[in-house]
Amino acid sequence: MATSAPPIPSHASVRGIKKVQPLRPDQGHSFLWRKLHSLSGLIPIGAFLIEHILSNVEALGGPAAYGHQVRLLNSLPQVRVLEWTFIFIPLAFHALYGLWIALRGRATVNIYPWAGNWGYLTQRITGLIAFAYIIQHVWRQRFSGVMLPEHPGAAFAKVQHELHNPWMLALYIVAMIAISFHFSYGIWLFAAKWGITPGTRARHRFGQLCAAFGTALCILGLASIYAFVGNPKYANAPADAFAPPAITQPAPVNPPTGSTNPNQPGEVR
Amino acid sequence: MPAPRIIVIGGGLAGLSAVIKIAEAGGTVDLFSIVPVKRSHSVCAQGGINAAKDLKGEGDTVYKHFDDTVYGGDFLANQTPVRDMTARAPAIIDLLDRMGVPFNRTHEGLLDFRRFGGTLYQRTAFAGATTGQQLLYALDEQVLRHESDGRVKKYEGWEFLSAVLDANGVCRGICALDLRSMQTRTFPADAIIVCTGGIGAIFGKSTNSVVCTGSAQSALYQQGAVYANGEFIQVHPTCIPGDDKLRLMSESARGEGGRVWVPRDKNEKRVARSIPEADRFYFLEEWYPKYGNLVPRDIATRAIHRVVYELGLGLDGQPMVYLDLTHIDRETLNRKLEGILEIYEKFVGDDPRDVPMKIFPGTHYTMGGLWVDFHQHTNIPGIFAAGEADYSIHGANRLGANSLLSCINGGFLAGPNAIAYATSLPAAPGDGGHAAELKRQQEKNAALLSNPGTENPFKLWRELGDTMTKHATIIRYNAGLAEADAKIVELLDRYRNVNLSDKTQWANTSFAFARQLQNMLHLARVIVQGARLRDESRGSHYKPDFPERNDAQFLKTTMATFDATTNAPAFSYAEVDTSLIPPRPRHYDATA
Amino acid sequence: MATAARTIHVEILRQSAPDAPARTERFAIPYRPNMNITSLLGEIALAPITADGAPTTPITYDSNCLEEICGSCAMLINGRARMACSTLVDTLQKEAPNQPIRLAPLSKFPVVRDLAVDRAVLFENLKVVKAWVPIDGTYDLGPGPRQFPQTQEARYPLSNCISCTICMEVCPQFSESTNFVGAATIAQARLFNMDPAGSVLKADRLRALAGEGGIQECGFAQNCVEACPKQLPLTESISITGREALLQQLKDLFTR
Ligand SMILES: Cc1cc2nc3c(=O)[nH]c(=O)nc-3n(C[C@H](O)[C@H](O)[C@H](O)COP(=O)(O)OP(=O)(O)OC[C@H]3O[C@@H](n4cnc5c(N)ncnc54)[C@H](O)[C@@H]3O)c2cc1C
Ligand code: HEM
Ligand code: HEM
Ligand code: SF4
Ligand code: F3S
Ligand code: FES
Repeated sequence: MATSAPPIPSHASVRGIKKVQPLRPDQGHSFLWRKLHSLSGLIPIGAFLIEHILSNVEALGGPAAYGHQVRLLNSLPQVRVLEWTFIFIPLAFHALYGLWIALRGRATVNIYPWAGNWGYLTQRITGLIAFAYIIQHVWRQRFSGVMLPEHPGAAFAKVQHELHNPWMLALYIVAMIAISFHFSYGIWLFAAKWGITPGTRARHRFGQLCAAFGTALCILGLASIYAFVGNPKYANAPADAFAPPAITQPAPVNPPTGSTNPNQPGEVR
Repeated sequence: MPAPRIIVIGGGLAGLSAVIKIAEAGGTVDLFSIVPVKRSHSVCAQGGINAAKDLKGEGDTVYKHFDDTVYGGDFLANQTPVRDMTARAPAIIDLLDRMGVPFNRTHEGLLDFRRFGGTLYQRTAFAGATTGQQLLYALDEQVLRHESDGRVKKYEGWEFLSAVLDANGVCRGICALDLRSMQTRTFPADAIIVCTGGIGAIFGKSTNSVVCTGSAQSALYQQGAVYANGEFIQVHPTCIPGDDKLRLMSESARGEGGRVWVPRDKNEKRVARSIPEADRFYFLEEWYPKYGNLVPRDIATRAIHRVVYELGLGLDGQPMVYLDLTHIDRETLNRKLEGILEIYEKFVGDDPRDVPMKIFPGTHYTMGGLWVDFHQHTNIPGIFAAGEADYSIHGANRLGANSLLSCINGGFLAGPNAIAYATSLPAAPGDGGHAAELKRQQEKNAALLSNPGTENPFKLWRELGDTMTKHATIIRYNAGLAEADAKIVELLDRYRNVNLSDKTQWANTSFAFARQLQNMLHLARVIVQGARLRDESRGSHYKPDFPERNDAQFLKTTMATFDATTNAPAFSYAEVDTSLIPPRPRHYDATA
Repeated sequence: MATAARTIHVEILRQSAPDAPARTERFAIPYRPNMNITSLLGEIALAPITADGAPTTPITYDSNCLEEICGSCAMLINGRARMACSTLVDTLQKEAPNQPIRLAPLSKFPVVRDLAVDRAVLFENLKVVKAWVPIDGTYDLGPGPRQFPQTQEARYPLSNCISCTICMEVCPQFSESTNFVGAATIAQARLFNMDPAGSVLKADRLRALAGEGGIQECGFAQNCVEACPKQLPLTESISITGREALLQQLKDLFTR
């Protein structure tokens, strides 16, 4: 994706004589695909995101509460089918088609620094961030390491372990902000393009609503990140919140040499 | 016998009207235009289009429209075609309405009308302040429709150079220049319709568009067509003086209640809005109480000229007066005049809703043009003309909002008449003169391109414009006209020494311009000599030395023909058709 | 103030033919108050000499009305698409003081020569969406249908489009890879859909707009509505037409 139109074409360059073709009615199916893209962002993916963040907020209640939530979700009937039809396939479609859309656009905020144009560019950048984030996130949380569907109690620890890496922590925070923007601005875009908010004032007011929604979503998301790494109460979560207590090891009494963590005297970081 | 081939030159209102009629009659037509037709000068028209539909209960009638037009034109117009046009006007408005023109409406959903100059009735239909744009687009859309059906072929970016005449002097096609590839070609046709619009560029700065050079009319005049009433040039009273052109402030500003005034005291220092009523001189309202600010254009223009140059009351000593709309509420202004107020705002920087506009007269329209009979046929067989390019309707002065009407009316007549003529046309002798005309034009092009001179055509043009504006607009003196003619002869002479800084053969605009310039120079002579010969004052033509109209000698159409031996115009005069309304004195002041 | 001595520096990106290389030429032009870009170009035609004193050719560019109504003269002025006739030198000098004025052709249309580009694609698109009212004929059929001022007032702003293509030039989605139709055509389709008689072709227009390069390509960047010199309600038109095009597709799905 080029982030700027060619300023004024450079002096020596020979400009291609390609030109934009006129409209071709009755050809192709891009109308359908575009509408599906739009819709997929909102209905399955957006709805999942809300659910997902609300679930993650459960982590504020500690490893057990979070574990219960993960177990609950994994006990839905036909959960694997649901997961593929309502999450993975639409997400993959939205992500790949979105990538294709983004690559064909020519954002021009350097020349036309207007709000809508910034929105357009940001929607694409946040889409790319989401793309990178979700691939690694789903791989690491869902398809590698401890299998959470079988061990829901390990969820808290698995995430906490991940977030102890400061790079990962930063990535989660950035992605959370980016995806909240992408989704809430996406709702606004959806309403504008589908003719739900045709008037300028309607769009303006709906924009405020979307901004409020996005901010709320973002705060909830950041709060759940905080729940994993910021709350001293659950600082050293058990590897599996639901494992029988006998297996839990008592913490060593004397901190090993070199420990810098007064709360977790037994852990070497 | 195959369907006749018609060529229409010009895609303004007149040209498009002709094209539509021909396509509708099942004919095929080639449409030539310098600019994409949607960018033709007609797009500039602001105020509206006249038709006596009497939807305001004022008792307006077609006859009154007819009478106002003839009287407004100081009885120089042939009355039969004017009568026919005014009678067709209501149906033309209905048609435009059906084509989707967004005319302003009354509460009941009927067409709204406003008042224009030279009449006491609300007779002008309008679409905001961009009526010409809306009409042109509506016609263009119909042409687009016929184009998709294969009836019309557009040659946009082609310039008409000359007619192809056969050995008998009958038109058999045209010679045209592709303004991109600079290729010159001839195109066969059984009849051609010339709708190439105005000639403002001859005056340098005017309200007209850049391509309004009159070049096509002049080329035909040099090929033997009669050019009629060339000396009648309308100077519009209210223009915004600009660096590159004079931008029109439409008569509709006065139609909606705009008032023209100057401070009574030439040393007035206060800003306009703080000057009390008593200290303002509403000279049009005082001098012409019946018509007030809506006197015809020639009258208003001369009044402004008098206020500025004789009474010395121009604003800050400059040639400008106020056109004031600030007493009208913003909402009304926005609804009815937004388009033109924006022009003022954009080019001057002041908001005319808050401060009175500063305006001055500017060259606007030519009443004269190619001579045509009552069927829009010129004196050359097979060449028809319509729109501003012909002379037929407006006599010595055009009333506001009558031009759009005359363009559509003229096109509607010319189209079918051209078909009728073409269907009974005998075959051309030989190649119809194509090879000879192509050769003549190619030689002209080659000579121009390789001319080793020193004169810049744009400089010559500027000098022409200055001379014409100085001597041949509002006030004319014989000495000045003679001086102007001498200057044009000098320019024609210097033209032979013209040198193109651009000698390339691709999209060479200076080449095209240089060709037009020569034609402008010839037409300019028709204007100044015609004015020199007409020792009277009539309509837009005003000579302080001959302040009265002289029907005995000059109730005549000026007919100019090109004399190739002297390279100069030759003049004769033709009777005017006054069969319906006997000429009477023309006065718009209190006694009228 | 000695305005007479002021000069305007202008840099123009020139190209002698569609496939010729582009080059920049610099000019120094004496300042006059109230100059616009077209009058600058006129001065160059009067004295076609670059700032270095080298003789050159007058600039080729499109213009006609010089009052922002014919739509001819769109170009890039200081990088931004604007109308040359209504862009005043004084405004530019305020915007970028002491900077040369940079002129270049629109970047998304093939260059014909210098600042003139080929914008035929818009006219083609207007044909594809049948931007007209299909009338029976031009003979006298009496008055058209009544139309309330409310309808007229909704249609009028859309009828002001001057086909300048600025909305297309500034649109990030308008490019050779999307072949997006652009905002102007969508607005015109809506104009004719709103006309009482023009609406008979509404379904055709909406179907055309759902074709390849159709309305779906709009990413709602809204540059079009910001840049449109005639302030057409473009985003509103895209929004409403987007909905109508979708409904038409759904309807067609079940009825065609
Ligand atoms: C600012 C302004 C406002 C006006 N307002 C009103 C109004 O409110 N009401 C009213 O009734 N009248 C008005 N008029 C007058 C009216 O607009 C014109 O008289 C009318 O539009 C002329 O139309 P036309 O079809 O004759 O020619 P134009 O619209 O000028 O078209 C001429 C066509 O000929 C083409 N052409 C020219 N030369 C050549 C050539 N050599 N080869 C090929 N093609 C060529 C051009 O490309 C163009 O397509 C106004 C005029 C101006 C200047
Ligand atoms: C606070 C931040 C987040 C945390 C703690 C978190 C945690 C988790 C965990 C633990 C899983 C595994 C669940 C399981 O295997 O059952 C998961 C799966 C997933 N997450 Fe996140 N996530 C976060 C943010 C996000 C965001 C912003 C997205 C973007 C859409 C996202 C998309 C997904 C997806 C698509 C899956 C796989 C879905 C599934 O298998 O049910 N997550 N996440
Ligand atoms: C995974 C990578 C993603 C990419 C590359 C991506 C890309 C895009 C792009 C480019 C658009 C703009 C489309 C346009 O303007 O035409 C878009 C719109 C949208 N996206 Fe995404 N997106 C991604 C993930 C998401 C996620 C996770 C969500 C929801 C939580 C989402 C929700 C939306 C919504 C609601 C829209 C608006 C629909 C519309 O344009 O009408 N996207 N996306
Ligand atoms: S919509 Fe506006 S920007 Fe686009 S072509 Fe029309 S006038 Fe120009
Ligand atoms: S700028 Fe382009 S993306 Fe849509 S809103 Fe306007 S057409
Ligand atoms: S010259 Fe007509 S819009 Fe600029």
